Amino acid sequence: MIKFTLNSQEVISLAKANERLLDVLRNEFSLTGVKCGCKEGECGACSVILDGRLVNSCLVAMGHIEGSTLVTIEGYRGTDRFAALAKAYAAVSAVQCGFCIPGMILASECILAQNPNPTEAEIREGISGNLCRCTGYNAIVEAIGIAAKGGQGLW
Amino acid sequence: MVNGYQATSLKEALAILAKEAVTPYGGGTDLMIAADEKANYLFLTKVPEMKNIVEDKEYIRIGAACTFTDIIESALAPAILKEAGAQIAAPAIRNLGTVGGNICNGSPKADSALIFFATDAKLRLVSSKGERVIPIAEFYLGNRKTSLQANELLVEILMKRTGLSNYYYKKVGARAALAISRVSFAAVLNVEQGKIVACETAFGAVSDVIIRRADIDAMLVGKTIDEAKAVKEDYLAAFAQVIVPIRGRISAEYRKSVCMNLLCDFLESNGI
Repeated sequence: MIKFTLNSQEVISLAKANERLLDVLRNEFSLTGVKCGCKEGECGACSVILDGRLVNSCLVAMGHIEGSTLVTIEGYRGTDRFAALAKAYAAVSAVQCGFCIPGMILASECILAQNPNPTEAEIREGISGNLCRCTGYNAIVEAIGIAAKGGQGLW
Repeated sequence: MVNGYQATSLKEALAILAKEAVTPYGGGTDLMIAADEKANYLFLTKVPEMKNIVEDKEYIRIGAACTFTDIIESALAPAILKEAGAQIAAPAIRNLGTVGGNICNGSPKADSALIFFATDAKLRLVSSKGERVIPIAEFYLGNRKTSLQANELLVEILMKRTGLSNYYYKKVGARAALAISRVSFAAVLNVEQGKIVACETAFGAVSDVIIRRADIDAMLVGKTIDEAKAVKEDYLAAFAQVIVPIRGRISAEYRKSVCMNLLCDFLESNGI
């Protein structure tokens, strides 16, 4: 049994300590917004926020998160910050197929939480572990910049 | 917890390690790529003694369970280590991956291990029966082979407090983020009162173990910059002989040329 806080609720997982967080989130908790792209930390589609930091959930074993606080896109989507990011992404059509977007949005949150006024280079660095094969990134970078400007006070 | 133990102190971690067959788990970024259903992990991220970056009279002591993000954000970590850490993978992996894991994984491509070689860092290995402090070069026995005993944990990496500020570091990868080093090179050069007092070079991703040849670097030590220039050709020739890249995804010829170019650039950037 592994206890942790998942999207603001205290939960207990029945998973073994060596199981992947990604698999447990999708299979045990039905949080399918956490996408499985590569299972080797290359794509960022499975990104979640662990104790305030972006991590690849495919590279985390369940035992590692005992006592930790976890936020997935499902928990984040109810926030004002999400609303600001969603609006900005939509404004510049930064989403095409959408597979990378849950991870991309959480990466965006971590960029802005650390630095509410990031430069373009800082934005690119912040999403450098999140692959997108549709957009060519420019629209996503622009969207994060728009959210930063429009979301003054949110971050 | 089934198939794992979460240690909350070093004493507890060592006690578990002494009696159970467990795999020490730092950040998991290497272990989970080849996740093993039978693996029994000893989770170390909540062991305070392994999470600190502190200094004493002699060393900057870096806890083996510190992540690369911890290092980048530390006021104490030397700039050479921060620079290499900031080029590892991408933020989400730097938030998990630890220096201890990077070292104990045993790869000659480990970007932080390269820095510890170039700076002649020491490793503090502890078991429930005692501890030993060894130079990092003695830790590596071959590709993926280290001298870590089954009952031992790498607890700290000890770096020199001074003499690391004039450094050179280059990682050559195929892309800016999430790149595995094709070749990596780090070096430190110190000149005092007109004489080279330290020259330490290390080459990563070319051999089974990171190449650190203090015997060759010694050719430049004790010399003025002009005297070093005079032996430069011999120095380069000596390294050209010992850099024999093993087969890899990228051709040996290319990696050797890059190694020699980086070594030359390091010398030239120091006026040699």
